[in-house]
Amino acid sequence: MRKFILLLALLFVGSGFQGIFAQTTPANALKNVTIHNADGSTTGSATIVWRNGVIEAIGTNVSIPFDAFEIDGGDSLHVYPGFIDGLSTLGSPALPRTQDLPRLEDPGNPPYHRAGIQPERKPSELLTEDNNFEAAMKAGFTSAALYPNGFMLPGQVEAFYLSADHADVELIKGTMGLAGSFEEAPGGWGSGAYPSTQMGVMAQFRQLMFDATALQQHMKYYEQNPEMPAPDRDRVLEAMFPLVNNSAPFFFEVDTKEHIERILKLQDQFGFDVVIVSGKEAYAKADELNQRNIPVLAGIDFTDAPEWYAEMKKKEEDTEEEDAEGEDSEEEEISEEEQMYREKQLDAWKAEVSNIKKLMDAGVSVGFSSAGLDLKDMTKKVEVLLDEGGLTENDLVALMSINTANILGLNRTHGSLQQGKNASFSVFDKAMTEDKAKVLHSISNGTIHEFKGN
Amino acid sequence: MKKLLTLCMIAAFGFTAQAQDKGSVLIQNATVITVTNGDLEETDVLIEDGVIREIGKDLRAPRGVETVDATGKFVMPGIIDAHSHLNGVDINEGRNPVTAEVTMEESVDPNEVGIYHALAGGATAIHLMHGSANVIGGQGETLKLRYGTTQEGMKFKDAKRTIKFALGENPTRVHGQGNGVQPRTRMGVEQVIRGHFDEALDYKRKREAYLEAKANYDRRGRGTPPVPVAENLRYEVLNDIIEGEIYVHCHSYRADEILMLVRVFNDYGIENYTFQHANEAFKVAPELAKHGAMTSVFSDWWAYKFEVYYSTAFNASILNANGVINSINSDNDQLLRTLNHEAAKVVRYGDTSVNDAIKMITLHPAIQLGIDDRVGSIEEGKHGDLAIWSRHPLSIYSKAEMTFVDGVKYFDRENDPDDMRIQINPGADFDDASNFREITTRRETDACLQDAFILLAEQSAHNHN
Repeated sequence: MRKFILLLALLFVGSGFQGIFAQTTPANALKNVTIHNADGSTTGSATIVWRNGVIEAIGTNVSIPFDAFEIDGGDSLHVYPGFIDGLSTLGSPALPRTQDLPRLEDPGNPPYHRAGIQPERKPSELLTEDNNFEAAMKAGFTSAALYPNGFMLPGQVEAFYLSADHADVELIKGTMGLAGSFEEAPGGWGSGAYPSTQMGVMAQFRQLMFDATALQQHMKYYEQNPEMPAPDRDRVLEAMFPLVNNSAPFFFEVDTKEHIERILKLQDQFGFDVVIVSGKEAYAKADELNQRNIPVLAGIDFTDAPEWYAEMKKKEEDTEEEDAEGEDSEEEEISEEEQMYREKQLDAWKAEVSNIKKLMDAGVSVGFSSAGLDLKDMTKKVEVLLDEGGLTENDLVALMSINTANILGLNRTHGSLQQGKNASFSVFDKAMTEDKAKVLHSISNGTIHEFKGN
Repeated sequence: MKKLLTLCMIAAFGFTAQAQDKGSVLIQNATVITVTNGDLEETDVLIEDGVIREIGKDLRAPRGVETVDATGKFVMPGIIDAHSHLNGVDINEGRNPVTAEVTMEESVDPNEVGIYHALAGGATAIHLMHGSANVIGGQGETLKLRYGTTQEGMKFKDAKRTIKFALGENPTRVHGQGNGVQPRTRMGVEQVIRGHFDEALDYKRKREAYLEAKANYDRRGRGTPPVPVAENLRYEVLNDIIEGEIYVHCHSYRADEILMLVRVFNDYGIENYTFQHANEAFKVAPELAKHGAMTSVFSDWWAYKFEVYYSTAFNASILNANGVINSINSDNDQLLRTLNHEAAKVVRYGDTSVNDAIKMITLHPAIQLGIDDRVGSIEEGKHGDLAIWSRHPLSIYSKAEMTFVDGVKYFDRENDPDDMRIQINPGADFDDASNFREITTRRETDACLQDAFILLAEQSAHNHN
């Protein structure tokens, strides 16, 4: 009885502390800003109030609590929902160098890790220092789904709040799925291992699924029948169980339409859910992806525009500025053959940069992934997407925020600026599509990261 | 005008982009080389919905069916190359001596412009093979040359499944000398095959026993459940070979190793197989005929390595005279465009009849790929896969003028644009991308060991270090 009272007292004290704690955590407020909502609308002269990482109030008619730390946007700052990188290797340890790989006694039977089969790896256990964390925040990203650098099965996908310091990069959601690609075992021909080809990766993947299926069966039997021989537990195969059971999606990085056909073939055989990552030629398969309900976390690491085309565009702009005054600049002499080639080349390039638009038009759920993009090039690529890729600014914001949140299953808390949602957003000095726009503050899970002098 | 040209090209080409399209055409007044029923002069061939409906005189084109006047010209079945690496993404999964689980079906590049070049040589189907780095390599895929379609669209539907084996120097160099694993010698090659067949049979027993015990346990829900035996892709394929579901195509040169494999296959009851290259097959032609073994050889190509010195240009003729079903293959993307010349050489060297020589690039490869019920000759009911030649196809002056697959015209010399590539890298400027000489010469001369040559070079560098 006395113990019970003590317990009650402790509980009371505990909850009391919590109450006091909650009351003393100050709110933050950002006022006089233009808010760009995920649906494309904007709200001028708005205020956002957040506390403990949650948006308490947002809009034009918001009263700021007395304890709030205030930032005044002076009606010149622009706030965007925190962009989400749908899949990235930020903070991942580097790959081993080819020359450091030990030579194998039997290259046909390498250990799993040596063959790039590492589905058990979790980014949350591997995160390391990476300057790109800050670069990503400066590009407007406040959260990201991460996986470790690797090969055919590099590891698991987990979502994180970003912070410039990798030690502060917090987990939002663990094991959301497995990452995969058709990347053969490392080492190339010099010190390579099985599987060393595209077809080898396909075969090896199937064998892993068969082996995982058998192990899972054995574990189930053994649980009920301890008199039978015990299963050989295996971290790698056990990490494949979510794919065997279709309980988590396969985030698969593919670009060519042939590769997309190959992953669809594996999907037909095993029935797991697929999220296509990067997907440069996904437009060629848009209808099928739509039918199969396969989302695409599209990359924007476009090929540079053909040189002649870039020059032509520039000339056009220049002559417009000069009000078409003076002589036409001399026409470049090219052969008919070259002209034909240029038309094909431009078609190919336009197809690439309008990938996202075509997918959206076909009804495919499209989000964003950096997929190898150097963040330094982000502005340039976004410009191409808007000028040549048929995307509007609204499409772009939605792509990188709510659409990506939907695909990752984070939309209840992330991807838009609403009361009750997570306080993750970026404050730009002007509209992000304007020339030289930059991020001044990045708020991730309520924490303010300030960037100066960038 | 330029725009118009592009547009025409797209229009001309666009119709082929659908997977496995079927076309109709009436070819009139040609000399039809039927292969199975002699040469028919001044004869028409009507193809409807991809199938040869009628062969005869004065046929009438059904409404809407295009007619082609082939007066003075020759119609021959489409050439079939029983040994090609034309559009493989990868050729050799060369890291293990046995890789039966991999398949060229998953290594098809449908965008390779060489497909179009092959069509221009009157070819309509190829056997896309795994390379010869491994004793038991990957499965092959028989493709129709439907340029402009998808991987799936290129497949020769319901062709027999095939697999590549390789004997002699290639697998012993790659694995024995290169990686220090079996096989290092021809004796080792035999044991790798026997060993894996035995393991596969053992696996099958265990797997079937497990599935049976599992079914019993799951039904009754008592007793002790069986320890699971995982499905094994490699052993499944090896069992399919033993059970006759897969035809073997074996890279081989020497007579002794050829007979070795005949003995091994006799022991395991494997019946359908073709020796590829087989430069010394002429030495054992009666034995091959006796066992129903087939061959697919070069007309006159040898001396590119030690095991290929003892060779003769009479190989194909000797095999043919002994009743061995023999085909002439290219194993080379350039030779593939002139396989008619290769067949002509057999007539020139060994006095083989013209029709028998033509069989070696049409009906015989079809038999070896298990598609002879549908292609390989011009017969009513067979597929409309054929080419119209300007002269007799074995003439050095003859050119393929039109090539049809399933009755769809995929090549027309009259309407043959300069650049038929369907995949352009937008990052490549004209000077780099237009260099066709470079594009064609970069193709390997001995694609059988493609990828593995690099492997060997790097290995020897490694070993010396």
